[in-house]
Amino acid sequence: MATAMQAVSPREEARPEGWGRPLIEVRELTKHFGPVVALAGVSLTVSAGEVHCLLGDNGAGKSTLIKTLSGVHKPTGGDFVVDGKPVTFSSPREALDAGIATVFQDLAMIPLLSITRNFFMGREPVKRVGPLSFMDMDFANKVARQEMRRIGIDVRDPEQAVGTLSGGERQCVAIARAVYFGAKVLILDEPTSALGVAQTSMVLKFIRQVRAKGLGVIFITHNVRHAYAVGDRFTILNRGRTLGTYAKTEIGLDELQTKMAGDKELQDLSEELGGTV
Amino acid sequence: MKTVLLRGVLMAAAMVVGVATTTSSALADNERFVFVSHAPDSDSWWNVIKNAIKNAEHDEGVKVEYRNPPTGDIADMARIIQQATASNPNGIVTTIADFDVLQSAIQGAVAKGIPVITVNSGTAEQSKELGAMMHIGQPEYDAGKGAGERAKAAGVTHFLCVNHYITNPASVQRCQGYADGLGVKLGDQMIDSGIDPTGIYNKVKAFIASHPDTDGIITLGPNSADPTIKYIGDSGSRSKFKSVISFDLDADISKAIKDGTMDAAIDQQPYLQGYLPIVFLTQYVRYGVMPSNNVNTGPGFVTKKNIELVEKLAGEYR
Amino acid sequence: MAERSDPGTPATPIVDVVDERLGRQSWYQRLMVRPDSGALAGVVLVFLFFTFAAGDTGMFASDGILSWMTVTAQLMIIGSGAALLMIGGEFDLSVGSMIGFSGMMIAIPTIYFDVPIGVSVVLAFVVAMAIGALNGYIIVRTRLPSFIVTLASLYILRGLTIALSILFTNRTIVSGLKEYSDDSFVASLFSAKLFPGFFQWLADNGIILKLPNGAPAVPGIPMLIVWAFALAVVGHVVLTRTRIGNWIFASGGDANAARNVGVPVSAVKISLFMATAFCATVFAACQVFEFGSAAADRGLLKEFEAIIAAVIGGCLLTGGYGSVIGACLGALIFGVVQQGILFAGAPSDWFQVFLGAMLLIAVLFNSSIRRRVTGER
Repeated sequence: MATAMQAVSPREEARPEGWGRPLIEVRELTKHFGPVVALAGVSLTVSAGEVHCLLGDNGAGKSTLIKTLSGVHKPTGGDFVVDGKPVTFSSPREALDAGIATVFQDLAMIPLLSITRNFFMGREPVKRVGPLSFMDMDFANKVARQEMRRIGIDVRDPEQAVGTLSGGERQCVAIARAVYFGAKVLILDEPTSALGVAQTSMVLKFIRQVRAKGLGVIFITHNVRHAYAVGDRFTILNRGRTLGTYAKTEIGLDELQTKMAGDKELQDLSEELGGTV
Repeated sequence: MKTVLLRGVLMAAAMVVGVATTTSSALADNERFVFVSHAPDSDSWWNVIKNAIKNAEHDEGVKVEYRNPPTGDIADMARIIQQATASNPNGIVTTIADFDVLQSAIQGAVAKGIPVITVNSGTAEQSKELGAMMHIGQPEYDAGKGAGERAKAAGVTHFLCVNHYITNPASVQRCQGYADGLGVKLGDQMIDSGIDPTGIYNKVKAFIASHPDTDGIITLGPNSADPTIKYIGDSGSRSKFKSVISFDLDADISKAIKDGTMDAAIDQQPYLQGYLPIVFLTQYVRYGVMPSNNVNTGPGFVTKKNIELVEKLAGEYR
Repeated sequence: MAERSDPGTPATPIVDVVDERLGRQSWYQRLMVRPDSGALAGVVLVFLFFTFAAGDTGMFASDGILSWMTVTAQLMIIGSGAALLMIGGEFDLSVGSMIGFSGMMIAIPTIYFDVPIGVSVVLAFVVAMAIGALNGYIIVRTRLPSFIVTLASLYILRGLTIALSILFTNRTIVSGLKEYSDDSFVASLFSAKLFPGFFQWLADNGIILKLPNGAPAVPGIPMLIVWAFALAVVGHVVLTRTRIGNWIFASGGDANAARNVGVPVSAVKISLFMATAFCATVFAACQVFEFGSAAADRGLLKEFEAIIAAVIGGCLLTGGYGSVIGACLGALIFGVVQQGILFAGAPSDWFQVFLGAMLLIAVLFNSSIRRRVTGER
């Protein structure tokens, strides 16, 4: 773990224009499914050039929140403001058009399709020949290879299937795709939960690269260490509410862990187990 | 993985090589004929013809390849005739299951100088028009009409025609002939029974239930007759029907004739349709002789009187 | 298994040099992950086999070649459609019934209702594609497996074909189309034989067989074969070279993932069902005009032959992978084996055994390819 952390140590980066401008603001967002209250009042601000970590145990409302932000669900109440304008999305496509791209853990890529075809899925570059339009494979392959190299994935052939990539590489391709197509805010749903140490470090490193471009990143995880390695601010969710938002300078790793555990009993349990939870 | 695949391929290949070589060595320097039928794999009636072909093969010292479209699709049958033509046999025997569809294929064989004899389905006129040497079979309409006349004599007024191969126009001619022999309209008295025995059984049952004045039944062959016989036995309704007749014979039908469930079977003597064309073609190829008339192998009626004779060989040679 | 980069190594700096590892994947490895490589190997094997088993039987004479090419072309037409649909993640079991239905749609209005033949043909295409669209719409809307929905349409269409032809014509084979179709442009579009002069010349010069009456054994290239190649080329280009092709792959690979990035999955699937209906109607039209009659039992079990061709050609039953060229090679294997077994003089009873064995081998081969492609072990 220690080596992995070092690999993502902060670096000096040039800051693009608009740095720190708020991209997404939600205030007292609520979402009810019939009698079930999934979100009971969540407030959150994501600014350009920050990695905003969303922490919480299972059932805290993380996935409902991201599905609401990415246009899958409509909020029941509260304000949802993008770039200073209030919005209501009725489909993921609308959220995408507004610059909010979500990378879901399992649904990011189609393993049997080539990297190029995955990368341009739904947004294929087109070349016209008379009345017919063809997919511009040369251009697509060139871009895919170039973008893969930028991440640091050694793509031998952009027409090889995504299935031949490792889990971490796939996550990176999915993120790179969102960035390439002009996302302003990236929502990453548990991008590291199924990955090994080395692959996790690769994804975390890439998240830092994305931030350096001035994108806002919402990073959902329940692994506090992963969050602390790349996060600028941390919002803790519990039972559908925000418990609080903390900047990295205000809070240490242990304290964050304790706050996320939230519950007194769990904290005791954690101490009993020697702090290994 | 690879070795498994390889082994599979080799086994499949070995199988076909085995089959191919055993058969081709048998035809060494003998005449080779192709017999093309329209019957799907599931049609058991053709077994008699297959046996006849085997006998003719043995008696004449020739090689006959029996071909049929597995699903009974006549368009596929045309392809088989085209293929047979391309393989340059000494002669082709084929049915005329559908004149329009088979026309160009059969004429193609004739144009290539291959002697063709038509059997079973089709009429003598069609055979002549196609340029075949002769037709060996039973005129379908006349056979149906003969059965209808028998039924009329028995006093039938409303009937059921159980048709298990409705897509073949010859089958409709049989029913039409029966209706004309009876002097009534065909109307809705013909049902499309399919070839599944359970399905046929239940369709017959349903028809009789909804048409209680039905007093005559005609089935177009063993496929439709066997379940119908079972239905009559199960329901104990034999006395209700004045006439029950089937086309063709098999073990069940001859048993039904014996025990009185069925009055008669129309026998087209299929054995002759398999045996004779091979004999004629062989003589033609060897000595250039060929009878100048068509051969009507039916209709003959098998009733309680002559059943003993027929029964022993039913399903095999009768 | 192709080698793979170690994901733990630090990022390589972005330098635009030719990747030195690019050449390492040999042509053999590249070939082995192509969906149609299995079918290609099968074609070679089958031709080798029949060259030995039936080389001297007329199988490779001009009319012999026409005989197995005709069967191949028929299957290519519906196989290309089936392959596209299968790559899009669905099946169409109603193809066979659709062939019978479309044939009747062409024949009955022309012969019994004096509809001009061109209008009947256009009508048949429109109705068939509308039924295809309905199949697709039901599947997309209800999310039922296409297997079930099209199984229902298999029966409905076959039943309708028999019932309607009995209703309108009182028979199940409608003949006599030839008098209406002779000299009509539409009929020749589906049944003409191209380049008769050239083939006559070939026969006159002894290159192909000449019949005793002076005509060549092969009078020309049937339009059936032209249609087969045209549909195959269009299908291949659409699949591999257009954005619609990418959508087809994506819809079959993972419909949810595709929807999430804005691929119009429903529209793609519905169009694919319309495409298979179109192919079935082309099949029917070629058959109807060649034989001059339509029958209610035409196309029986052809849906399975189409699926078999696609599977032998490397399409995965689960969707998202395959090729139209593969399906055409599958059709070629099918045609050569089906007719070749007859040429070899083997009892045709063995054809189905052979077909089943080949299907099994193809599926085993395909699943091994999928493992290679996705790197799962």
